[in-house]
Order: sequence, then structure tokens, then C-alpha cells
Amino acid sequence: MHLFFKKAAVLKTSLRSIFFILILLWCIGFSFNAIFPGSTFGIVTFPILKRIYGTVCHQRIEKTFFLDGSRLLVCARCTGIYTGALIFSLLSIFFFKRLSFGIKLLYAAMLPIFFDVVFTTLGIYPYTKIIAFITGLFFGSVVFLYILAAIENNFVDQKTNQYGS
Amino acid sequence: MDRKSLFPSLVAGFGAAVLTTVPGIKNFACCLLVPLAAVTALFLDHKLNKTRLPITLKSALFFGFFTALFATVFSTFFDVLITFITHTNDFIQALPQTESMVKQYHLDALLEQTMELLKQMARDIQSTGFSPLYTFGIFFSNFIINSIFGLMGGILGMTFLNRRTQI
Repeated sequence: MHLFFKKAAVLKTSLRSIFFILILLWCIGFSFNAIFPGSTFGIVTFPILKRIYGTVCHQRIEKTFFLDGSRLLVCARCTGIYTGALIFSLLSIFFFKRLSFGIKLLYAAMLPIFFDVVFTTLGIYPYTKIIAFITGLFFGSVVFLYILAAIENNFVDQKTNQYGS
Repeated sequence: MDRKSLFPSLVAGFGAAVLTTVPGIKNFACCLLVPLAAVTALFLDHKLNKTRLPITLKSALFFGFFTALFATVFSTFFDVLITFITHTNDFIQALPQTESMVKQYHLDALLEQTMELLKQMARDIQSTGFSPLYTFGIFFSNFIINSIFGLMGGILGMTFLNRRTQI
């Protein structure tokens, strides 16, 4: 029984570590020119990376963060989403033994983004990168935990149940 | 896998491709378009094909992947078509800026070849409106990125539809 729990814990830690590395690589990709300013690799690959990240983001300059004069390749909201996922993927390696939440949290995470998009579009208040980033941060972290929990619940636990039985 | 089970993915993938191509619409959903399409595909399958709940991870991933695949095919097609008509795109517009910046640096052989390939693509697009390498490149990158986001959307859709996820 002890071995069974140990195996599950090892599998979960491995999975969470893989997620963290993948998300980290993704984040380095969209901020490469900002992290390594003046890098020739970054300059040459800029059109390619811009096109790749353009698949998942509108990349409008007025909605994008600049770090040290170099623009990130995704908008403030997307930066928030990926940063949230990155932070929680790191935290999940050390904390959150077993994830358990209802569907309401997911709705709650969506609402700030929804209202921010609606209100800025209707002109109730002006668009700010900080608000977009924070709403994205909250959403990204919650979505990451949901996806991780769904995978662990359906894959890791089933796998370890097989070992256990 | 039959035609009936692919239909929701086809519809949702086509919708996502249209929304990613039309300028302006992307501002609203941004990186959530493909995941939302995967969620929609699962909903459509549940409504049209009367799929039984709870949805398994396997079928959630199946719908996520195929929605992403259809979104990739259609969005690449739209991109190539628009590029063919206009003889320009974001890539062509970004390249001169890169060229002017690169001139200040000494590039090693690999980066030099990469730069030459990019210029070749730009020349093809500007002269004929079509570059096989560019088409392959955007299909490949769209496929990888959309697949990741589609699979995540499938998992989220499963969570939604199963309501209580027991997580």
C-alpha cells in the first residue's frame, strides 16, 4: 500500500515537472528578445517566433508589454495567462498533494476576463495592460490547475490503481 | 471513429479558423479560440450524437485533437489564400526590420542560412504570392500550437460537461 502511494506521488511529481518545463519553454519563447536583448539568434528568429505566437494571440502593440525596449510576442492578457500557469506549475511540484475543486471556481476565473473584455469594448472604462494581465493571471492559474487535476484524475490515478489492484 | 463523430470537430474547427483569420475578432478571445472550439465540439457531439456522460479523457483528447487539426487545415488555407491574393502578410512586413537589425551583427553560418531561407520565402511571396516553405512552416507551427491548445480545450470541455470532475 505504501509503495502504491509512493508510485502515485512520483508519477504526479514527474508529470508536474514536465508541465513546468514545457510552460517555461513556452514563456521563454515569447519573451526571448526581452530576456536576451541583442541576441542574434533572437533577432533572426523574430519573424518566425512572431508568426508562431501570432497563431494564438492578436499581438497588438498597444496591448503588449515592453521589457527593456523589447516587446513580448503576446498581449498583456496572454502574458498573464501563461505567467499564472507557470507560477502554479512550479508551485504544484511542491504543494497541492491532491487537487479538488468544483466547477464554480472555473466560472469565477472566467468572469473577470469576460467583464474586462465587455467593459473595455463598451468603453465603460479604458483598457489597461495591468488589469488585462491580472485577469489573465487569475484565469491562467485556475485553468492550469483544472487541466492538471483532470489529467491526474483520469490518467495517473487510474494507472496507479492498476498497480494497486 | 466515424463521420458522425468527426462532424462536431469539423464545424468547431472551421469556426475557429474563420475567427482567427478575420482581423479584429481575435482581439476578443485571443489564445482561447481553439480551446473554446474544442469545448464547443464536445458540446455539439453531446447534443447531436447523444454521447453518454461522463466523457472520458480519451474522447476529450480525441475531440480536442481533431478540432485543432481542422482549425489548422482551414486557417492555413485561409492564410495561404489571403497571402496569394495580397502578395504580403505579417511575415513579409516584419522581415525588413529584422534585416536592418541583423546587419549590425556578425551571423554564424546557421543563422546566415536561416536568414537566407527567410529572404527566399519573402521573395517567393512577393513575386508569386505563394511559398511552399512558408506554407509548410505555417501549417506545421499552426498544427503544433493548435494541437496543444485543442487538447487543453478538450480537457476543459470534459470538466465542464462532467460538471463534477471529482478532482
